[in-house]
Amino acid sequence: MNSPTQAGSASKLGLLDKLRVGNRAVLEAVQGLGLFAVIVIVSVLLGLASPVFFSRINIENLFYSATIIAVVAIGEAFVILVGGIDLSVGAVLALSSVLCVGLPLFAGVPIWLSTLVALGTGAGIGLINGLSVTVLKIPALIATLAMMSIARGVAFIYSGGRNIAPVPSIYVDIQATRLFGIPVVILFTIALGILAHFVLSSTRFGRSIYATGGNALAARLSGIRTNQIVLAAYVISGIAAAIGGLMITARLEAGAATAGFGTELTVISAVVIGGVSLLGGEGKIGGVLLGVLLLGLVQNAINLLNVPPNYDYVVSGLVIAAAAGLDVFRRSFAEAGLRRRSILRKDEAKSQRGSAPSATTATPPKRIT
Amino acid sequence: MSEKSPVPSNGDERSGNTLIAEPVLVARGICKSFPGVVALDDVDFEIRPGEVNALVGENGAGKSTLIKIMAGFYTPDLGEVRVNGKHLSADPAAAHKAGVATIHQDHHLVPSMTVAENIMLGHWPSRYGIISKKEQTKHALRTLAQVAPELSPSTRARRLSPAEGQLVEIARALSEDACALVMDEPTTSLSPREIDRLFAIVKELKTKGLGIVFVSHWLEEVFRIADRITVLRDSKLVGSAPAAQLDQEQVIKMMVGRAVHEVSTSARKPGRVVLEVKNLTRYGAVEDISFGVHAGEIVTLAGLVGAGRSEVASCIFGIDPYDTGQVLVDGKPVAPNDPAAAMRAGIGFIPEDRRRQALVEQLSVSANATLAVLDRIAPRWVISTERESEVMSEAKRSLAIKMSSPKVRVSTLSGGNQQKVVLARWLARRPSLLILDEPTKGVDVGAKAEISEIIVGLASRGTAILLISSELPEVLALSDRVLVMRSGRITGELHRGSMSQELIMNYAATA
Repeated sequence: MNSPTQAGSASKLGLLDKLRVGNRAVLEAVQGLGLFAVIVIVSVLLGLASPVFFSRINIENLFYSATIIAVVAIGEAFVILVGGIDLSVGAVLALSSVLCVGLPLFAGVPIWLSTLVALGTGAGIGLINGLSVTVLKIPALIATLAMMSIARGVAFIYSGGRNIAPVPSIYVDIQATRLFGIPVVILFTIALGILAHFVLSSTRFGRSIYATGGNALAARLSGIRTNQIVLAAYVISGIAAAIGGLMITARLEAGAATAGFGTELTVISAVVIGGVSLLGGEGKIGGVLLGVLLLGLVQNAINLLNVPPNYDYVVSGLVIAAAAGLDVFRRSFAEAGLRRRSILRKDEAKSQRGSAPSATTATPPKRIT
Repeated sequence: MSEKSPVPSNGDERSGNTLIAEPVLVARGICKSFPGVVALDDVDFEIRPGEVNALVGENGAGKSTLIKIMAGFYTPDLGEVRVNGKHLSADPAAAHKAGVATIHQDHHLVPSMTVAENIMLGHWPSRYGIISKKEQTKHALRTLAQVAPELSPSTRARRLSPAEGQLVEIARALSEDACALVMDEPTTSLSPREIDRLFAIVKELKTKGLGIVFVSHWLEEVFRIADRITVLRDSKLVGSAPAAQLDQEQVIKMMVGRAVHEVSTSARKPGRVVLEVKNLTRYGAVEDISFGVHAGEIVTLAGLVGAGRSEVASCIFGIDPYDTGQVLVDGKPVAPNDPAAAMRAGIGFIPEDRRRQALVEQLSVSANATLAVLDRIAPRWVISTERESEVMSEAKRSLAIKMSSPKVRVSTLSGGNQQKVVLARWLARRPSLLILDEPTKGVDVGAKAEISEIIVGLASRGTAILLISSELPEVLALSDRVLVMRSGRITGELHRGSMSQELIMNYAATA
């Protein structure tokens, strides 16, 4: 059932139809734009409500405060794409935070080494999560829930429950650095996003991630070592969370075992709002970053509009629900567009249809019992 | 919802199919498209009371779509379905209410619920929202008596065999006052005896005035049960006529619309030994299996379902571990329990269950077709789009895969084309040994012949082929050698010239 080419179909279509009917790539772009459109609308409303919103300082602050969640969400996206979930990211972030300050302070470890240890701890925890899921076959939700508790506990034990300070000055300095007038932290996050997008869309590893998340058995039977892919995804998530820990340390100017409480839920919300399927195998990093931005926008709005702090969570929850609802709506709109396109093509085909192919001799199929 | 008669309301008075009644369901000018494919094109269809209308056609001809439209799952793009003169809106609940009951291929029982709960699913007898178990059992027993009196209403559905599950679904349809019963390939998972029983029940229901749609691939069954045969081909209606006026050959011509020629295997010279299996044992599955496959040779594992054929393949390709023995390709041992290692050793594997074991439905046709050659299209980790599209266009050309674009999701293709995508994945690797587990299962007549030709073509170009097939004519037509298995062991070896269906069945079924 090969559809005929689109040549000549344009004449019948209006502008709107062309937009809707165009090729699949355009439609996918429109799907991606859905979340972007929501962000634009919310921004405009906010701009009207508060003149401060479009100020350079506020915009910069908006992006700046979204960076930590963005970095952790990029890691989490890898895990959700392979069909898993990582609840330990908030705790890993805290552990990384206390380690990178505590090691130089308590044990005199050089700063470069303590930073590496913090990142290595993230990777190690990711590895343990991955092994629990692939080798021990513990459900990801349970394995990472246990790890969340353990890592948070270790962070508290190590820090004695107190904030550790002072933070090595290089952290604070990097935090304050600007390149082309933009905080280097924002540039780093964008670079990380681009790298992750490239890895997922254009490499063997990325394709294997989508295949494993989409149908692990089929991927394995196609020669993909799915256990290694899953393992790698958890390690990436662990490292990303540890990077988030370094970033939050610089921002708080302290190593804190309480850092990132509940971050895992914010991060997972952002990833899912960004269009990554919780079942795995579907979604893009661009969407994830937009999801993070939307959540940042909501936080920003709460601050600008002086929403009483107690209403904070309710407002955030409502926005997450609304974003998810809008997402469903835009998907069905795009589906309708696709359907419309194929009908139009078919009408075309109908008018050009020639005679049916003639039948020739055939043998009956036999059924063996 | 309270009292409901378990017997179709229009059933008792009318009897037999001599009465020329108004059709209970009329579908007119149905058109339906999905992204990239036209599934139905101006199709008319009717269900008359007391008549079995068999809907036949190749995979991808549009049968499933038509059924889903009648069941209210899809809205037709154009055209209309009327049930007893009333417009049917696209809503499964509305279809049920109008009296169209559908028994889908994949059974739709709730496994954790009892037979009675399943029969009364969605209209459990209740007062103020509290379900009356007594009423429920009473209703269930009344409907069960007509189709399966031996079933207990309190059995959990998960304990039922496929055949029993189907009877429960029929009972559910009866309890809902259905006037039309649509059965989508109801015989695929049934034994011959169970099929006989199903047909007896269908005949019984017919005399009660139900209109029945029967979808099947197997024309012998169709001719046993159908009063009328309706043929779809390439999304269009080819024709509909009383079964008595047709014969199998005519129907096949209508279905296929082209010649289906038998594959002839010219004498091939087997070359070097490619695969050697030595004393392979996986406890509880296969025992002491030893055989070899030469380059250019087609060796078939024959036997009944459960004889251990797929298990042998699983061990060779490293899907399952084995306890003792060895697998060698080109004289080198293949690491056990690692499909990636088996693939690198030169083995390709086309599994039996396409959807579960082969396709990643979220990915595009092209990503699926290149999944086993990621190392070739991405020599340095980064995927080369040029190489990917080269592999894809080569596959499209050599296998005649029909699709609107390689970028569409693989799930939008028809079954036969999906199977070709899986074939493409492995042909692109040029394996020295290709294992095919029931490659033509659930594939229509035309695609079957194409796939057989591809297999023979591969062998004549020197690929060693290990085939698993339950279709004896296919086995006899393709194989150079047949290894018959029974209870996990090889019980007989037959060579071209000395093989026959009787001999194979003899080794397969008797001690």
